[in-house]
Amino acid sequence: MKIISKDSITQKELIREIKSVILAGGLVVLPSDTVYGLCVDSRSKTAVEKLISFKRRPAGKPISVFVGSVDRAHTYVSLNKSQNALLNQLAPGPYTFVLPSKRVLRPELESEQGNLGIRIPNNKFINDLIDALDFPITATSANLAGSPPHYSVESLLESLSDKKKQEIDLIIDAGKLPYNKPSTVLDLSQETVAVLRAGDTQVSESYTSTSALQTATIGKKILAHLKKKALDKPAIIILQGELGAGKTTLIKAIGGELGIRNIVSPTYVVCYEYPTTDKHFKLFHHCDFYNIKEGDELNFLGIDQMLKPNTLVAIEWGEKSGPIFDLLTSKACVAVISMSYLSQESRKVDITYL
Amino acid sequence: MIILAIDTSCDETSVAVTDGQKILVNKIYSQVLIHKKWGGVVPNLAKRAHEEHIDVVVNEVLKKVEQSEIDAFAVTYGPGLAVALEVGILKTKELALKYNKPLIAVNHMEGHIYSCFAQNSAGNPKSTFKFPYIALLISGGHTELVLFKDHGNYEMLGQTLDDAAGEALDKAAKLIGLGYPGGAVIEELARKGDKTFLTLPRPMKGSKDLNFSFSGLKTSFYYYYRDLTDKQKNEQLFDLAASYQEAVFDSVLYKLEKAIVQTGVSSLVVGGGVGANLYLRERIRKLAKKHAGNVQFPPYKYLYGDNAAMIGIAAHFKAQKKEFVEDLSVLQRVPRLSL
Repeated sequence: MKIISKDSITQKELIREIKSVILAGGLVVLPSDTVYGLCVDSRSKTAVEKLISFKRRPAGKPISVFVGSVDRAHTYVSLNKSQNALLNQLAPGPYTFVLPSKRVLRPELESEQGNLGIRIPNNKFINDLIDALDFPITATSANLAGSPPHYSVESLLESLSDKKKQEIDLIIDAGKLPYNKPSTVLDLSQETVAVLRAGDTQVSESYTSTSALQTATIGKKILAHLKKKALDKPAIIILQGELGAGKTTLIKAIGGELGIRNIVSPTYVVCYEYPTTDKHFKLFHHCDFYNIKEGDELNFLGIDQMLKPNTLVAIEWGEKSGPIFDLLTSKACVAVISMSYLSQESRKVDITYL
Repeated sequence: MIILAIDTSCDETSVAVTDGQKILVNKIYSQVLIHKKWGGVVPNLAKRAHEEHIDVVVNEVLKKVEQSEIDAFAVTYGPGLAVALEVGILKTKELALKYNKPLIAVNHMEGHIYSCFAQNSAGNPKSTFKFPYIALLISGGHTELVLFKDHGNYEMLGQTLDDAAGEALDKAAKLIGLGYPGGAVIEELARKGDKTFLTLPRPMKGSKDLNFSFSGLKTSFYYYYRDLTDKQKNEQLFDLAASYQEAVFDSVLYKLEKAIVQTGVSSLVVGGGVGANLYLRERIRKLAKKHAGNVQFPPYKYLYGDNAAMIGIAAHFKAQKKEFVEDLSVLQRVPRLSL
């Protein structure tokens, strides 16, 4: 292990020293805009494995990389136009951007969903280093998994056993770093839930509502229709529509008809269950798939157990029910409701009974 | 009294052992994974599958304490996701029967209140109860004002009628392309922005009650944002984050102050994830000071989110009043349980 004080030699010499260690597959501790980081060649299998074993990091936990600049980021992750603009706005800065990986670097660095975390720190030295290297290096904090990060080389070394210290090849000491928080993670990756396709079925009824009261009347009609149809089956309302289209207003009206007065958003827990005072629908499940990111998650919500006679299930952000759509339609009477915004006061409500 | 507590109300599978207000062990599934050597269990997959996680976490906790030392078991029975709650309840019943110890059923929200009185295993920080308190419970799933009169004695003063405050922040963050959950990102960006840049509504300000509503605020923001050009969206990023966060917190603070005035109680406790927001904490401290009161937050960072330690602490005070579940077979989850 070699320690070089950051100000003892010129930046050019410093970069040459670091480059030779990194290219040889070595482990380097570098100061960043947040905490001290552990850096290795992000293209080298042995170097990345050395890092993972040093940190005792569990598998599947992604490791972010310093990419130098937004321009360079395009080589390693997929960015659409608006994400590119967002990066230009926020970088350089104390952020980690999680984006779909282009699989150029080691796969061990990626998350299970194939995403890569990239950092463009507010630290000219690191960005210059990446320019000189012409490839990204890892940007994980210099601490063992589950331990707090370090702001000085002394505190890092105190926390390590002699054996662990020997695993580090080079340390660049910049003294005590200011107490900036570790980077804020922005997950910009796309969701992977199969979405229901529009236009698969014929719209049965179409309304325009210009008030919450009218929306409530439409809710009543839907409920009456489902009661008649779902005699020995559960009924499901699949609700689609952008933010602020009036989905909550409709659900609250339907719940109110069933005698439920305390409906709140189930976004956080995904599904809330309510007993009702209604003679037909004795149980009401209010679901919201807004937070569902992977289709697989739908298998752990107990949807199957909900699908019993005398039960009404309403699903907000129901367009994400793609992976379980066949299950829903085979076991229940389904109403697909699409709500859209026409103006400040009016909403369009399209109803399709399946 | 040594209590082993389990909380599976939502995403996290958490198990803890407490002694009074002291936390002896607190484990959540994602943490347990870190301590296992890599190459074993794969994290992330099926985040919500408590059933597969619960034994791993319980066993990890039982490595740290002698089974014979446990005096009682506690579990969250609501509010939360029905299938998730069931897993915790089933496991706790099984443990209580196996070791022939009493079981205490705890309301998750009660846990968040008691999280402000938690201590580490050495009994720090020292804290005593000086009733009554106003509890602000603010998270991604809840926004409630509760009058905490004495142990086990609560009066619901007000709550959200639609979205929770944390959800309102998260959804706005996702809308402006910052991913989800984004409350922490909004806080970060808001620091660099002008909170007076955009005037958004302060919902329910005119209402006489102490309830909240954030759905309309979110909608106003959505339609404002939708009509901006890409260039404006980027230029206004920090200012929008600051203006929106301000509107959410103004709405919370307004009702909190109203509650202080109405009840004459100015000792505050704050539980739940949004309480970790430093700007909100500063504003609540100022408000308490204005009314010659004080405010207590959870003493350790992990206590803001969902955890089983707070359930164990709440259970301790229930056990002192002998509030045990008499017949295990009748204990059921109550997904929309309220205080």
